[in-house]
Parts: sequence; C-alpha cells; structure tokens
Amino acid sequence: MGYAGVRGGQEAIVAAERLVAEARFGGGSGWLELGQITERLSAAVDRVMGEGGLWAPELAARAFRQAQGDVLEAAQLLRAHRSTLPRLGYGLPVGTRDLRAVRRISPAVRQPPGGQLLGRTTDYTPRVLDLTPDEQLRTQRPARSGRGAATASPRTHDAIEPDAALRAEGLLADRRVTTDPDPYDITRAPARPGAPRSARLSAMARAETGSLTHLWYMCSRAPRHDGPEIPLELRRGRLPLRVRHPHTGRPVVVAAARVTEARTVRPTGRPRTDGTRFDTGYGLCFGENEPKALAMAGLDLLVHRDPHTDRLEQKVLIALDGPEASGFLEHLKLPHYVDFRSTMERVQAVRAAAGGAR
Amino acid sequence: MPDTLTRERRCELLAAAEHDEIVPLAERLLTEGAFPRPTVVKPPEVGMVVLQVREPVEETRFYLGEVLVTECSVEVDGVPGWCMREGDDRVAALAGALLDAVAAAGLPARTDIDSLCAAIAERRAAEDAAEWADVTATTVNFEELT
Repeated sequence: MGYAGVRGGQEAIVAAERLVAEARFGGGSGWLELGQITERLSAAVDRVMGEGGLWAPELAARAFRQAQGDVLEAAQLLRAHRSTLPRLGYGLPVGTRDLRAVRRISPAVRQPPGGQLLGRTTDYTPRVLDLTPDEQLRTQRPARSGRGAATASPRTHDAIEPDAALRAEGLLADRRVTTDPDPYDITRAPARPGAPRSARLSAMARAETGSLTHLWYMCSRAPRHDGPEIPLELRRGRLPLRVRHPHTGRPVVVAAARVTEARTVRPTGRPRTDGTRFDTGYGLCFGENEPKALAMAGLDLLVHRDPHTDRLEQKVLIALDGPEASGFLEHLKLPHYVDFRSTMERVQAVRAAAGGAR
Repeated sequence: MPDTLTRERRCELLAAAEHDEIVPLAERLLTEGAFPRPTVVKPPEVGMVVLQVREPVEETRFYLGEVLVTECSVEVDGVPGWCMREGDDRVAALAGALLDAVAAAGLPARTDIDSLCAAIAERRAAEDAAEWADVTATTVNFEELT
C-alpha cells in the first residue's frame, strides 16, 4: 500500500501551514525560551533525546517547541536532523564505573554496599495535582536546609557492582564472554531477529518509552514467566564521552550525557528448567527516564531467556521505534485514492461473484 | 616554564568551559598578538560521536546513541591544537583549539590559559561538591516492618 501522487492544493497547504504558524507564534503568552524548556521540562527533553538517539539538549528543546509539545514528533524532528550530521568518531567504551551517580536505589536489597541514595525523586510522596495559585508558585524557591556538608563522604558508590554479592555466592548465571565483538550499528543496518544482543540494547535504548513500557507490561504479566522480576539496582547519573586525543593518543573526556541505568534479576527458568541461579537483564538510556531503563532491563532478560515465544525478539527489534511506527501511521493520512479505488473494485467484484447483496 | 597540566586535562577543562570563559580569552590573546598567526587546519565542524558502552552482563559493547559535538583543529607556530566539545558552538570550539595550541607550544600566554583552566577546575569541583552534598542528604536507611 502506498499513497497516491497528487497535484494541486498548494494554496490550501500554505493556508494550513499558516494556521500551524499561528499556533506556534501567535497567542498572547510570552515566547517560550529554550532555557525554560531544558530546565523546567527536562523529562520531555530527555525523552526526545532518547528516542531521537542523539544527546543534544538544546536541539531537543528546539524540536519539542516546534512540535508544540508532541514528544514523538519532536523525536522524529531530532532523528531527521541527526541524519544530516556527520559522524566524527566513536567514543572509547565506558561502563557503570564511569557513571557519576546522583541517585542509586536497590529495590532488592535493603542495605546494599555503599547504601542507598534516593536522589531527586517523588517516589515516596503522594502524586497530587498542585493547585497552589500561580502567583505563589512563581515566587517559590526551593529550601536548601536539607543539604549535607559539602565535604561529605567521597563518591564511593560509582565503583560498586550491584551484582557482586550474588556473583560471589555463585548465584548469578555467568554470561561474560571472552571475545569483544564490534557492536551492531542499528543506524546503518536494520536489526532483524538473530542479530547480536548489542543490536537489541541499541534498539531499546532509543525505543519509544510508552511502547517499551507497554511491551514489558504485557510480557512480564504473562503467567509463563515463573519467578518474580526484581530490580537489583537503579542508577541515574552522568556518563562521560571519552575519545582518543588525536595528537597524544591518550583518552580525554569531551562531553557527558545524563543517563538512567537499571539491572534486574529473575530466577533462571525458561527455556531451561533451572531455578538455582539468577539471570540478569540490563537497561540504559539517555536522560532521566526510569520507566524506560527498567522496562529495557526486563525485556533484555526476557528476550535472552525466550526470544521466540510471541515473537518477542522480533517485537523488540522492530516494533518499538517511535519515528518508524508513527511515520507509518501518519502516512495513512495522505491521499490513498488509487489504493482505495482498487480495493473498492475488488470488494465489488467479490460481492458480484457471491451473488450480490445478502 | 613548567607544564602543570597534562595536555588531556587541559583539553577536558577547555571542553567544559563556558562560551563566555573561553572565547574572550582567545580573542584577547589574538588581539594582543600573544601568538603568531594561526592556521585553521580543520574549521569547526558540528557532528556526532557515538557513545559506546560496555554493559556489565556479558561485558560486551553496544552503542547507546550519539552525542552532538563540535570539533576544530588549528596550528600555532607549527604546533597542532585540537578541541572537541559538547554542543554546536563553533566559535567556542575554535577558541578551544587555539588555546590548546598556544599552551602546547609553551608560549608565555600559557600562564593565562592555565589560570583559566584552574578556575574552571575549581568551579567544577565546587559544583560537584554541592551536588554530592545534596545527594548525600537523601541517603536512606529503610527499616523493615516485621
């Protein structure tokens, strides 16, 4: 199926674009500054960058503003802009130990090594709509009384491996490999079932958050997945972009991206009947997006255990990309006159062959 | 003159500098003739670098996404200078590359550049300490109800 080529309608299209411009630039409210968007609407900006696959807060804010708050449309704009930029190189591999954590919680263990840092969260406060009058909110400033001493304990959490205790007791399925294959680049070749795990992780890292959450929810509630899934750890922090200095050859940090990381475990089960150890799933995405990292970790684990039931691997690789899915959906709004005429003729022919109306 | 900063550390600090910290210094040194006429080897280019992660389960690598950066290369007195920094600020990237080359060439202006780097390092350390103080105030020790 494809949309039909059409001609004409230029004046109507220009008038329609004018209406969009009126909504973007008209009205009585003040101009929405990029700084306001990156500071006050950071969750949306983070989602745009995650789903667009590019860490660029100002560009993401610009896209979000142009899309009038539509995150999917903004991700599409950023993704399209990304395709016009040259790839200047590859960062040196970084890992959990490089992540400077500003939040670290463990739903699995009450007192993990290094303790738990709630960081900035509303997890333990009621989700109630704030109806404080705007005049009061406008002048409100955060209280700083809770701040600890600036000379507080050094950052020791960053180097802690959350699964170290399980691994030491032999309770963790050891999946470490000795080879170091080059990662699959989903931006250069579409990933299909059977692709290496690196493709799956990349696909989920830039998946649409709602779709990823929904797929995880459907799968994790399925009765066949025996044993509960419990996140071992959830971290938020900054991950450095480290490249090789062109003149000295030594590593140098040139940028940093805020990320959310999750590790989750389930007792080992399908396809092997072995409940003696835990399997781990891993999630990592741009920005502060805890549902996405958690859902990614859960799905990483489920695909590892059972990729074929319900074609889960295929869904993870193909069905979660926001710009792809919404692009296909949006194209349905374009003229399909030829398609429809042809379908109509076919239906009429079948109907005539069946003896007319029943 | 002893070099108190490694070249990589200086690069990191110049990459972390604000536009208003790095550009005025480069402009001033250029105006004062503190270094010979530079050659722009590679004009500032906005592009992307892949953020590559080694995940902890299989310890294999994957591509998390890309980061928007601007890169620039210059030469001062036959010494190459390079800068790569986050975002799409071409002027700041050019300034960073110039300052890197001047410092690497060991010209007297390196003192000014290293002073700026020291100020940036101090600011970042203060921001880091303040952030960590905020975060440690949220350290929790849940009690289990039995």
